[in-house]
Amino acid sequence: MREPTLRPSPSSPPAAGPAKPSRSRKSAKAAASASAEVAAIESAATERSINPIAPESAAFEDYRPGPDAQLRRLRPAANQRQVWNRRAGRPDSRPDAKTPYDTVIPLADSSAERLITAQAPQRPLSTLAFRIEVDGRIVEGLEGQTILEVCRANGIEIPTLCYEPKLPGFGACRMCVVEVEGEEHPPISCSRAAEPGMIVRTQTEQLRRLRRTNLELIFSDHNAYCLPPCQNKCPSHIDIPGFLKANAEGQFRESARIFKRTIPFPSILGRVCPAPCEEHCRRDEVDEAIAIRDSHRYAGDLVLKAQHDGIEPPLPFETEPKTGKRVAVIGSGPAGMAAAYYLLLSGHDVTVFEKDPAPGGMLRYGIPEYRLPKKDILEPEYEAVWHLGARLECNKALGRDFSLDDLRDQGFDSTIVATGCYDTNKLNIPNENADGVIDGLEYLKIAALGLPYPGHKKSRVVVVGGGFTAMDCWRTSLRQGAREVTLVYRRDMKDMPAASEVHEALEEGGKAVFQAGPTRVLVDASNKVTGVEFIRMRPGAPDASGRRRPEPAPGTEFVVECDRVLLGIGQGPDLAWVGPGNEGIASAHGRLQADAVTFETGRPGVFGTGDVRIGSATVVQAVAEGRRCAYAVDAYLKGGDLAELRTRQTLAEVEPQFLSIVPYIDEPKEPRYRLKSLPAKERVKSYVEYEIPYTQAEVMAESTRCLQCTCEAIGNCDLRRLGIEYGTTLQTLEPGHDQGAGFRSVTENRFTGYNHDYIRDDSHAFILREPSRCIDCGRCATVCAEVVGAACYDFMRIGFDTLVTTPLDMSLNDTPCVSCGRCAETCPTGALMPKPRVLEKYDVDESRCILCGICVDACPYDALRDGQDNELAHTDRDDPEIDLIGLAAIDRETEVTYIRRERDWVAHALAEGRLEDPAAMLPALPALPPSLAGAASHSHRAHRK
Amino acid sequence: MTRATVLATPARWPRFLLPATPAAKPADLDAAVEGGAFAGLRAAVEELKADGVIAALGESGLRGRGGAGIPTGEKWRACALAQADRRYVVVNAYQSDPAVLTDRILLEANPYAVLEGAAIAAFTVGAGEVLVAVRAEATDAIRVLESAVAAARAAGYLGSNVLGSGTDINVSVKPLRGAYMLGEETVLLKGLEGKRGQPEQQPPYTTTRGLFGKPTLIHGPQTFAAVPSILTGGAARFAEIGATASRGTILVQISGAVATPGIAEVPLGITIREIVDVAGGVPSPHRLKALLVGGPSGGILPAEGMSVSYDQVSLEEAGAYIGSGSVVVVDQKSCVVDLAAVLTRFCADEACGKTIPCRIGLRRLAEIGARICEGQPRGDEVTRLSDLLSDIVESALCDHERRATLALRSVVRYFRDELDAHIVRNICPAGICQPKAAARAGAVS
Repeated sequence: MREPTLRPSPSSPPAAGPAKPSRSRKSAKAAASASAEVAAIESAATERSINPIAPESAAFEDYRPGPDAQLRRLRPAANQRQVWNRRAGRPDSRPDAKTPYDTVIPLADSSAERLITAQAPQRPLSTLAFRIEVDGRIVEGLEGQTILEVCRANGIEIPTLCYEPKLPGFGACRMCVVEVEGEEHPPISCSRAAEPGMIVRTQTEQLRRLRRTNLELIFSDHNAYCLPPCQNKCPSHIDIPGFLKANAEGQFRESARIFKRTIPFPSILGRVCPAPCEEHCRRDEVDEAIAIRDSHRYAGDLVLKAQHDGIEPPLPFETEPKTGKRVAVIGSGPAGMAAAYYLLLSGHDVTVFEKDPAPGGMLRYGIPEYRLPKKDILEPEYEAVWHLGARLECNKALGRDFSLDDLRDQGFDSTIVATGCYDTNKLNIPNENADGVIDGLEYLKIAALGLPYPGHKKSRVVVVGGGFTAMDCWRTSLRQGAREVTLVYRRDMKDMPAASEVHEALEEGGKAVFQAGPTRVLVDASNKVTGVEFIRMRPGAPDASGRRRPEPAPGTEFVVECDRVLLGIGQGPDLAWVGPGNEGIASAHGRLQADAVTFETGRPGVFGTGDVRIGSATVVQAVAEGRRCAYAVDAYLKGGDLAELRTRQTLAEVEPQFLSIVPYIDEPKEPRYRLKSLPAKERVKSYVEYEIPYTQAEVMAESTRCLQCTCEAIGNCDLRRLGIEYGTTLQTLEPGHDQGAGFRSVTENRFTGYNHDYIRDDSHAFILREPSRCIDCGRCATVCAEVVGAACYDFMRIGFDTLVTTPLDMSLNDTPCVSCGRCAETCPTGALMPKPRVLEKYDVDESRCILCGICVDACPYDALRDGQDNELAHTDRDDPEIDLIGLAAIDRETEVTYIRRERDWVAHALAEGRLEDPAAMLPALPALPPSLAGAASHSHRAHRK
Repeated sequence: MTRATVLATPARWPRFLLPATPAAKPADLDAAVEGGAFAGLRAAVEELKADGVIAALGESGLRGRGGAGIPTGEKWRACALAQADRRYVVVNAYQSDPAVLTDRILLEANPYAVLEGAAIAAFTVGAGEVLVAVRAEATDAIRVLESAVAAARAAGYLGSNVLGSGTDINVSVKPLRGAYMLGEETVLLKGLEGKRGQPEQQPPYTTTRGLFGKPTLIHGPQTFAAVPSILTGGAARFAEIGATASRGTILVQISGAVATPGIAEVPLGITIREIVDVAGGVPSPHRLKALLVGGPSGGILPAEGMSVSYDQVSLEEAGAYIGSGSVVVVDQKSCVVDLAAVLTRFCADEACGKTIPCRIGLRRLAEIGARICEGQPRGDEVTRLSDLLSDIVESALCDHERRATLALRSVVRYFRDELDAHIVRNICPAGICQPKAAARAGAVS
């Protein structure tokens, strides 16, 4: 059974222990070389010797370890076999001969056998290669590999959750099922050996269905969430907790960089965004929502200020190398420019076409100066896009100056249509074309720039509508000196998209009438407006948006006299250009028809995004559209499969920073820092931005209020990644889900039922356990038991209540945990995480260090390492770094202080009645020498401090 | 001794497992040898050798008695051919179905047949160790087995150098405490290794990678007990009995609405009606409604299932399986939906918790069943039920997972009317479930 020849002979130990005297060796030649080696080590050691009184006796002659020898003893050299042979006096054998370590002989002892079989199966070093077919490809595998290993080695991805590459397959998560021809049920690829000639399919409809069911089952008992509600509600899914955290730390440039990962324009959006995020802030459960918009505005403004001083704005990602592909972006509004920005970052060449004399689209011509300063904010922020190399061609309109065919002929590889919505809706009431009825957008195009609109001064103006256009018309008219400005909206104030601004407008002197709709425009003989007749509206049945549809109440007509009527009742895209020269483009519901995920129109290489696709919407929605479209175009230009893009929905994937969560129950109340604004009387006179921005202290205080309620594992979570890939989690891109900003609870699916609610355990110093996020894959249990050897976790309980946890759910502190962090490293979700530390660095009290090296061994992140000279830098006794004087100065406990403290404790305990019999409890204490009593009491007090 | 009635069967039915007249002292080796015990082992050692044994088994048509019904000869050959330095033989007498005592009765009444079969197996595949895994609560069976092992070892039938063959066969009885899942063979092996009982995917089959990673031959006691009589000239006789696919006899426990519940040794391939008749048939006040065949994870057959042949293939086609050997007669006073929901819940609660479809999926199935019984189904409940059932079967790791769906699958397949009555009309025809009709309106809206 055993082969003694393969085992190291006891007389010639293979490990480089104390070298035997060379005299005992048989081969003179080998002895000579070996003794030369030892001599070299010896001489090195002698040279370095710092001990002048080392005995030069024979006992020390052969072995005097220098640092090199010490290292050698621990780590076998690459040519160890030859070294051993030389030492043992054997001639060098063939290079392929076995070394003593090549063979493991199983012992008859069954407990030893158990240990051996608990290890991962070790494949022999040379194995036979064979071929199998995977998804129509012939790939090569090695004998003993599982199907999963063969696929991964050949770049074929099979999803897994419970597979840990260090260990044999476990087969719990059932995500890695594959179809093997000739088998009734799909086997689990992680624990099924590949066999020559197998025909494997990894991505069939059936398999995808099984995986989806599986994920849905997991999610139905996954009592946790990924994104915080604010981020979910943001159409562009900005990493809000991430940039707020950077803000709170005073890293505003980093904050702006995080913001620019999803939206390139923090300052613009910091002014014009309706902030849907703030409506869902969980801080509201404590006191008030965070001022998310105002916080990124500060960071954005700082970047613009720095840009003015010549410091380039931060880039969210590193720019990719140039691809040489050219993209035409039609429209320089928020959607087009966002698309241009992310395409430029992806290395494409972008030319932006704009029909107006200056870029900006609605941002420039639709939003008034007092809300968005053009020169100070819009242009510098756009500068970031031009700086990346975008070219601009103004006064070029699609359909008027060029067609899609022309662009194709000019050599553009792809075109993005982002022309926005400029076609104001009609009221369809009598006299709508009377003199004095003005298109709100036409009005704003002039007035928003601060230029006086002809005849507006001193006139009486009626604004019809309740959206942003109507609001801007209302407040701009006030600034243009209109005598009386009345806004009339058919629903209630709370239904207005721009409800937040109403009070400010009323302060500025505007009038408003709610729940009234126009029935006709009154004109005089010269067809000039004299007033508008309205009818009172009452709320009817709820419509698709959930709001109650207004219905006219007959007999309640009334007239508002006026000289001018501004229409702000919504816009649609102008699609007059669709036709010859632009074949392949279609419209649907009055909008450009384009896919919601891939943004493809009917014409190859042409993509549609922004308001022209979804209808008039907010700036943040337009930016989100533009960014997602850029990813789709990038995939198209790089030859990616857009169908795959749709499947994987990578567009929804964001990777925020690693964050800590704070429970919000006992949070101290700290109300929101509100932006102050100029008094109404002042601001109504000018176009100056009226909101006074935060100071640095204010923005940091406000950002600190954020509860950071995101999953710490986000971006690292395999479950979320697969959930997105298989469409079983956040349905962010589903049409009909709130224009792409759809959201639903993670656990809400067809199998929702009873689910577990486990208690979070943060008792351990380094590892945070959140069992509600556990999917029972068992990776931590196996790694902990078989790699680390501590075996802190295992499957506990049975049936549905099975959970991978510690025995009796005890704290990790009570287990043999060595704080190595391997469990957190292997956890595919956020159930086990390295605990975020508040401390930035630890102080090492070197006077107390005993140089044991345990910290170096235990540190999971190699933060403490062996130094260059030795295993432990501190063990270099040549130059001790111990501060002896400092050591002496430390006030340490002496016998005197110890006695004193114990006596005090006994006295206190007696006084409080806690101690029955001091003699029985404590060893008898000697009386304190009277000479020391005074000094000791002093030092004791210092000690207690 | 375990209290269970052994029913008298027609005289023409052969007996291989239980003796016709129970021995007063089943562990008495001398009496047993007189009755022919260890003649098969002697024949194997002295005449047949390993190849002969496997050939005889192939000729007999013996198959495993549990779920898969793999031909025993092939399994032994695979185990014998697997490359390894040691092998094991395991007798899976755990019998996880709490209501069935067939294996216990066999061990108590005829321990030497089981031990001899296991010893023949060990000799054939070259295993040095035989482990008999018994439920720890079966104290009588353990006592009988242990004295039988001691006696056989003393007489040289077991232990070192068995019958002068030079082979060592060490038999140990391993009482196991655990859960329902231990009936699954890979789980049982984990239990014997001292690990948490969780199944492994097959292949690799236990015959190549089983206990401690070594080739392991694992059978139920009934399979082992059939081997000696096959070797002592019974192979041809054995092959005459039973259906085409399965040969021999099997122990069945009949319970429920029958006149005299009990255990009987029946030939494979007879109809379930004949089996029920052994237990006195269904008394007239009870009207037959369904048959639960296979224990808690078995299938529910309708009344027409009485004419189904009792063998692996026919039962599988009908939507049931032999399983624990249990046949429960269900009368009209029972509700099959309720029965299936309770069985599924049992299987869900007994799951080991390793895989997702089993741990969460079975629980969701049980929840769907409970919702239907309570009269609070969600929309598309039957579609959801059917989808989940088929997905669990497709991606199942072990047989427990697959079989646990049988009860509800049977309801969807055979008792659709009763299911629809619960869901659509909100009534339970048997009057067992009490659908909360009033609460339903609130729950749905």
